[in-house]
Amino acid sequence: MADVVPLPGVLAQLRLIAGLRWTLLRNGLQRKNNRWDLVGIILAGVFAGILVVGLSAAFCAGAYAILAKNRAGWMALLFWAVFLWWQVFPIFVAGFGANFEFKTLLRFPLSQRAFYLLGLGYGFADFAAVAAVCWVAAMNLGAAMARPEVLPVMLAVSVLFVLMNVTLERLIGSWLERIMAKRKTRELFIGLFVLSMVSLNFLNPMMQRYGMAARPKVLHYLPYLAWLPGSLAGRAVAGSVHGDMRATLLGVAGLVVWLGVTSGFLWQRFAAQYRGEEISESAAPAPAKKKTNGSVASLEAAKAGSSNEEWLPMVPVTVAAVALKEFRYMTRNGMAFLTLLLPPIMVVFFTMQFGKGSALREHAFNSEKFFPGIMAYLILILIMPAYNSFAFEGKGIQTYFMAPLRFQDVLMGKNLFLVTLVSFELGLSLALLMWRVGWPSPSMFATTIAGGAFAVLGQLTIANWSSLSFPKKMEIGKMKGQRNSGVAVWTAFGVQIVLGGVCAVIILAGRWLSEPWMPAIAFAGLTAAAVAGYVASLAALSRLAERKKELLIETLCR
Amino acid sequence: MGEIAIATQKLTRTFGALTAVDGIDLQVQAGHFFGFLGPNGAGKSTTIKMLTGLLAPTSGRMELLGLDFQQHSIEVKRQIGVVPEGMGLFERLTGGEYLRFVGRMYGLDRSTTEKRSEELLEFMQLADRKKTLIADYSHGMQKKLALAAAVIHGPRILFLDEPFEGVDALAAGALKALLGRMTERGVTIFLTSHVLEIVERLCSHVAIIHQGRLVAQGSLEELRAGVAGSAGETKTLEQIFLSIVGQSGAEQSRLEELTWLT
Repeated sequence: MADVVPLPGVLAQLRLIAGLRWTLLRNGLQRKNNRWDLVGIILAGVFAGILVVGLSAAFCAGAYAILAKNRAGWMALLFWAVFLWWQVFPIFVAGFGANFEFKTLLRFPLSQRAFYLLGLGYGFADFAAVAAVCWVAAMNLGAAMARPEVLPVMLAVSVLFVLMNVTLERLIGSWLERIMAKRKTRELFIGLFVLSMVSLNFLNPMMQRYGMAARPKVLHYLPYLAWLPGSLAGRAVAGSVHGDMRATLLGVAGLVVWLGVTSGFLWQRFAAQYRGEEISESAAPAPAKKKTNGSVASLEAAKAGSSNEEWLPMVPVTVAAVALKEFRYMTRNGMAFLTLLLPPIMVVFFTMQFGKGSALREHAFNSEKFFPGIMAYLILILIMPAYNSFAFEGKGIQTYFMAPLRFQDVLMGKNLFLVTLVSFELGLSLALLMWRVGWPSPSMFATTIAGGAFAVLGQLTIANWSSLSFPKKMEIGKMKGQRNSGVAVWTAFGVQIVLGGVCAVIILAGRWLSEPWMPAIAFAGLTAAAVAGYVASLAALSRLAERKKELLIETLCR
Repeated sequence: MGEIAIATQKLTRTFGALTAVDGIDLQVQAGHFFGFLGPNGAGKSTTIKMLTGLLAPTSGRMELLGLDFQQHSIEVKRQIGVVPEGMGLFERLTGGEYLRFVGRMYGLDRSTTEKRSEELLEFMQLADRKKTLIADYSHGMQKKLALAAAVIHGPRILFLDEPFEGVDALAAGALKALLGRMTERGVTIFLTSHVLEIVERLCSHVAIIHQGRLVAQGSLEELRAGVAGSAGETKTLEQIFLSIVGQSGAEQSRLEELTWLT
């Protein structure tokens, strides 16, 4: 019979968890691929240190200036800054995935109280929390230097404010953990997150257009913020400075209520986890099974597939199958969907900034420049994934090597889908450009289309080579570590700079020679050459795929 | 002697200094249910990967259905089905979409692919999850789907790497029946499993690989005959396996080190 040993205390368990996190980080850095991450971490550490120390000095000076100049009401602004940082920054990094799931600790013999305290302790072991605590401490230092008699109230308010913030952050974090644990909600969250980031581009033009009109409404709702933690903390400190005991007590009481409410909710969340709430990904429940027999199912299937017509009659079956699979993958990849939304969004954004009717009217481009410029930019965005086109295949890559086909069919299927997609996107963007900016001259229109075709088709061969030679696994619905290999990125940039240079020289030569149709003709010729080069490269790329088979399988099935 | 489905000569694969498979000479007759056994890291999966075109051998030859793999890889692949290690599924497709994709990749026409996909999904009890992505399948469901994909084109040789791992008893029973029927129709099944009882029940012939070398090959009776035992005693496959790889009795001495637990 094994011995039953006494449990360690909560402090010892906290120490063990800190040790565990450190070991995970250290072991992660020992992996060969993560050496560069170490450099990244050191650089990030330096920048983070500068941010924390620099802003600590700013918060200290701010608190000192506010209290020394007897403007204690403004202390709320400092508390608000800390509050927003503490609550918003962790949400920004949540999309990049946590290395360590806190709830996995539940397999150890912990009481619910210990689990709760460990959860709060985990909340303090976070960059946002460490920085925020430093800034609150700096505010206390500034306050002590300016008005020493305020320090007791300032300290009490700071403690409550810090406890409330860490509790609220953990509460939001535990809900985020729940959201991020399931594939569908995680992808939706990340999609909305990226979309909101893209939407920030429109903030400036919107402010320029509607800022003045919105101001009275914003001022109308401002007093309601008085009951939020930043304002309550500021009110308590201001009350102490002005000798207004009622205001101080009201502020402190408000913070206590906030702390109590958030603690109650957090206790409930942790209790649910403690009881064994299952939030991880698991098999979706089956819908109620319809009573069918095999023959009926076969009949239905036969009916559905009675037509033996191909959906792409001119294309080999295997190529069409890969293209269809690529389409299905795109429809299930939130990030890819966003990439599709990006070109029209960017067209609207650029035309708002620089086009007709924009606030920057004096910089307005004419459609002759706008057309080729924006097309080049859109091709840059849309073609980039082709340089690591197997990124999302995962273990499915084995199917391509097990199936009886030449690998060039796989490449052609992928390229066919990409060219169709790029054509659709460019067509959509062209329509938007015509609406927002107007038609260019026929020669410039033809030049843009032919130049775009050359730029896309000219890249496919090299993009295929890059995909086979420098594969990097990526996962749908995750943001952490989701980047192409460095070589693939530099290859793409190099190719795009060269092609962009060639296109620019041809367009400028047309203008210099006053031959407006010359660039379009030159691009058509180059496109034909690019297609010929592409076709000629396929057999060599098939052989390359065979040579790189093990690298691809090892990298993507990991 | 019948037709040889799988034959290798001095098949070798090295990874740097490590020789994972060391000059093995395998012979599997058509229609046999063949078990390929070995301890962890013995070279089983490496051998299957080479035999299915997922890994190139460092040296040696492989012939499947009388065709040299290197020279006729597409023709060979057309006639084999594989459930590889890790299953090789495209997780962002639904089960039906994946089967239709695989069917088309093996050159089946559209109506045949549709019909077989539906029938296989029905047989594997996956038909009621038409809209569920493979990523949301349980491990056992993924295994069943991988097996369905491996047989959709009616292969003459089926390679199965741990096919029953994670599959529930009901489904496993149905799968075993299916595989049994396939061998009756002349399909060769090459299977690896750590569950020796399954291999013993299903397979007529067995090979054992240990540290990259083939240490035994033959029918179960031949292997039993080769292992010394007391008169009248019928050795189980587990006993044969432990006897051949030289591990019998080793666990007893290791257990003695855990006196605080035992």
